[in-house]
Amino acid sequence: MNLRDKLKAVSASGKPAAPPPKQFTDCWQRTEKRDVQDFPHAFEVQRKTVMLMQGEEMPEDFDIRRVLFLDTETTGFMGAGTVAFLIGVGWLTDEGFTVRQYLMRDYPEEKYQLERLVDDLTRFDVICTFNGRSFDVPLLKDRFLMNRMRTTCLDKPHIDLLHIARRVWKLRLKKCNLGHLEEAVLGICRVGDIPGADVPQRFFSYLKTGQFCLLNEVIEHNAQDIASLCVLLGHMAHMYEHPEEARHGEDVFSMGVALERMKHPEEARRCYRLAMHGSMRTQGQLRLAVSYRRAGDRAQAKEIWQAMVIRHEGGVTPYIELAKHYEHIEKDIPSALEMTRRALMLLAEPTLFDDEAVQETRNAVQYRYDRLKSRLAKKEQ
Amino acid sequence: MNVDQLADQLRRDPMFMENVVRWEVIPARPAQYAPYPQGLDQRLLPVLQKRGIHQLYSHQAHAVQEVLAGRDVVVVTPTASGKTMCYNLPVLSSILQNEDARALYLFPTKALSADQVSELYELIEEMGVGIKTYTYDGDTPGAARKAVRQAGHIVVTNPDMLHSGILPHHTKWVKLFENLKYIVIDEIHTYRGVFGSNLANVLRRLLRLCDFYGSKPQFILCSATIANPQELAELLTGRSVTMIDDNGAPMGQRHFVFYNPPVINRQLGIRKGVIPETREIAGMLLKNGIQTITFARSRLVVEVMTKYLKDIVRDPLGNAGRVRGYRGGYLPTQRREIERGLRAGQIDAVVSTNALELGIDIGALDACVLCGYPGTIASAWQQAGRAGRRKGTSIVFYVASSAAIDQYIVSHPDYFLHQSPENALLNPDNLYILLSHFKCAAFELPFEDGDSFGNAPGTEELLDYLDESHILRHVDGRYHWSSEDFPASEISLRSAASENFVIIDITDPAHHRVIGEMDRYTVPMLLHENAIYMHEAQQYQVEKLDFDACKAFIRQVDTGYYTDANLNISLSLLDIEKQDEAENGVGRALGEVKVTTLVTMFKKIRFDTHENLGFGHVRLPEMDMHTTAMWWTLPESICARYENDELKNGMLAVANLLRIVAPLYLMCAPQDVAVQYQVKSPMTDKPTVILYDNCPGGVGLAHKAYGMQQMLLEKALQIAQDCTCSQGCPSCAGPIGEIGENGKKTAMALLKELIR
Repeated sequence: MNLRDKLKAVSASGKPAAPPPKQFTDCWQRTEKRDVQDFPHAFEVQRKTVMLMQGEEMPEDFDIRRVLFLDTETTGFMGAGTVAFLIGVGWLTDEGFTVRQYLMRDYPEEKYQLERLVDDLTRFDVICTFNGRSFDVPLLKDRFLMNRMRTTCLDKPHIDLLHIARRVWKLRLKKCNLGHLEEAVLGICRVGDIPGADVPQRFFSYLKTGQFCLLNEVIEHNAQDIASLCVLLGHMAHMYEHPEEARHGEDVFSMGVALERMKHPEEARRCYRLAMHGSMRTQGQLRLAVSYRRAGDRAQAKEIWQAMVIRHEGGVTPYIELAKHYEHIEKDIPSALEMTRRALMLLAEPTLFDDEAVQETRNAVQYRYDRLKSRLAKKEQ
Repeated sequence: MNVDQLADQLRRDPMFMENVVRWEVIPARPAQYAPYPQGLDQRLLPVLQKRGIHQLYSHQAHAVQEVLAGRDVVVVTPTASGKTMCYNLPVLSSILQNEDARALYLFPTKALSADQVSELYELIEEMGVGIKTYTYDGDTPGAARKAVRQAGHIVVTNPDMLHSGILPHHTKWVKLFENLKYIVIDEIHTYRGVFGSNLANVLRRLLRLCDFYGSKPQFILCSATIANPQELAELLTGRSVTMIDDNGAPMGQRHFVFYNPPVINRQLGIRKGVIPETREIAGMLLKNGIQTITFARSRLVVEVMTKYLKDIVRDPLGNAGRVRGYRGGYLPTQRREIERGLRAGQIDAVVSTNALELGIDIGALDACVLCGYPGTIASAWQQAGRAGRRKGTSIVFYVASSAAIDQYIVSHPDYFLHQSPENALLNPDNLYILLSHFKCAAFELPFEDGDSFGNAPGTEELLDYLDESHILRHVDGRYHWSSEDFPASEISLRSAASENFVIIDITDPAHHRVIGEMDRYTVPMLLHENAIYMHEAQQYQVEKLDFDACKAFIRQVDTGYYTDANLNISLSLLDIEKQDEAENGVGRALGEVKVTTLVTMFKKIRFDTHENLGFGHVRLPEMDMHTTAMWWTLPESICARYENDELKNGMLAVANLLRIVAPLYLMCAPQDVAVQYQVKSPMTDKPTVILYDNCPGGVGLAHKAYGMQQMLLEKALQIAQDCTCSQGCPSCAGPIGEIGENGKKTAMALLKELIR
């Protein structure tokens, strides 16, 4: 057997490849204008809102028209052998939204595609992506390196919508990929979209056969992704600006949690208060009270817990919080003991579903009760 | 009692000495020193002096000198000769002088890397300089990885991690690749066969990337004593390498005792078992408070022996922590604990497989017992080297089993003492291995027309083949990776199998716990359903083996027996490379075969008496392997002289004899080469004896055997002729029970025909 036959025996061979194009002088590109009406709220996006959402600094002269939206389609997930065969960018002008896409029709076109990306990037101040921090940007940096292009054009302030969206919608929607958000939040319905997992195979099929039409859906998919980035940014900024318009308690509650984590307690409390009128009523109140307590406004916190006790909301938690409050702030041991006693009574109500957590709470409350009782006894002595 | 006293006492004991075939005393050797080489950074000297190192041993100084002169070196020294200094000194010196310089350390196992880093840390800490040393392997936490990639001066890893975790992601390691000055590879003698062939290709890939980033690293390699360290180093690196073997480390006096258990049935040639005899000797050392390591051939024997020795020292509560077992499959934390216990002297006796043969630091012990021949001379010396301090006496007992190779060694101690150790063979151009690494290399960096891949042959043909298979795309003078796959995940460097099985103890239904793991090829032998699996001398029974999920569920049991599985092997022909026929019609051929292995049943064997208690069936899938083989066929004219059974027994005996001589004269480990016979061969349609490389693709043993077949056959015949048994014994053609009454006679007649 000669080497060639052996190789064939080692693994099955395929058909010969389609002849590649002969001359490579530039990549393929396409520009598409979208109507400005399709981007509601986009022009409302302000620097301070973006900083509120992401908790990071943005340029002083932030302008939504100087944000470059970016998304890539790649041949795989990791490693130096993965390429971004399609790079799409988009930007907003007063006239509308422009999507521009650079495609390498074959590997030698990659450097032209990257050069064009550099040109675009230099015209903008901020990058906006969906999961670009962990995926698109590192991948593009690898591609620059592999093409021996040294550039810092990707080191700009970066709005990564995935993380912001997760903080807001994870609670309600569980899944937070872009397609799902479009459907559930933005009301965008894609027709004949290609699943992301099929994208690499489409590109390889195109390379083998040379049939460009195989890529049409991929290109359309990418263009829609980029447009959606801008819509999503506008939508989220609007939500942060007008939490009262939110239609779901979970979303406004989650926004509160996010804002609190980003150290914006006032804005967070506003969200919690709004959440109190919906499905997140109990959690909203508890969060609100804790937020007041952290801010040192003990009276407000106490008021909320008391109101919850009266309305039988929140189980034992408001009792315990009140007990702590009486004991440590007001030094009113008898009231603390009373609250603890009532919490125990509530817990003592028989239930078939006592799990370990309930058991643990009961033990903790019991311990608190015993401790307070002996403290009171000592005092009386 | 100390070792000297014990040695004296044993020598005066006629009962013991009756079984000693040779008592070799290896005299103490004084140290040879050399001055610090010129060019070594002066900041290192006070730190070394603080550790009591005032001058270097001759081989250390020599190595440092050569490295600083810019040469690639391989240092060949026995265990405990201070070889780590040979690479740590030049590496630290270079980084002290240029803080951008980087070094990559490769150790064959994670355990070894952990050991090395702690030693380096100490040196660096004492110097008070900011040289950052990190281990990068599967255990490195995700959060720490970024720091390692960007800031590590010395990155310590293993070939597997380099292959799948570093090279395919080289863009994250720009600093390392741009400034790589030294590649240190320790224990290179472990890189033979498949593992070595893979590593050679991983290094080809590494050097290719260094070239891309503009660095030209130097190699510092270390090897235990083998026959061909320089050749191995050059095969691995593809460069010419300077060899340094002037060992200057001192060594205390050593006794090497060859012990052959007494014959208990002369007619059948049966000797007392190696396990009970080892148990006696190791037990005697244990009772005398002499810190001892016992090496056993298999995991099973390790467990059995650990149990026996634990029984000697068990306290009233049943604790026996002074005796421990050690082998692959124990979890890393448990292994570290045992290593620490040995260094601190809290453990008096350890029973190990060759897992402790590598340079893991367990300190030097007083005595070593080899329970059976480890298979190669190199390995035997490595294991024996575990006993032996720089000062003071140590003792090594080699207890021979009744296996033929053991009997050969114990009856030819001079062969063992004076024969050069084995060659480490590897074949970087094994087509299977090469093709896989071509994929990885192309993934990492496109090939350009006219590029070479180290010194691999047929680069262009391979690239064009991959292009035609749509794995690469050849366009505009370059071959680009053109697939969604991640090629590095398709290869395991150590065997053809990629994933390990985890072993889960389900004794406590509320707390299933993972107690170990095992490679895919060993699983059918040891973890089939109903197998008794032993772990730290505790017996478990395998309740369920989930082959697809790679999990074995076991439960603690207490049975009086252990199990031993039977492996069935079948062969089919893929291709003939060369063949010829002798005048008497004997055919000889070299080519490629497919070997299919299948475990179908197991035996239950009682502890202590080792009697057979019964059988059980095993239902597991077959495993395939393509490899190179050579074979002999017998013509009808010769076969017609024998009854069917007679012929079968004769061929079995021939195969047994060849199995003894092949590893000795091909100079490889017994498990590297396999010999099978087929009375009706589906491969050749004739009675056939086949010798093949026991690894996918082969490493060249069958080729070597084809070239020296006359000698192999003559040596096989000689063993049969020289043996004193009349009709066969376990030390030559096989026991009568196996080969029948005429087996030996027929084998000798067949061998004479094969030789003609």
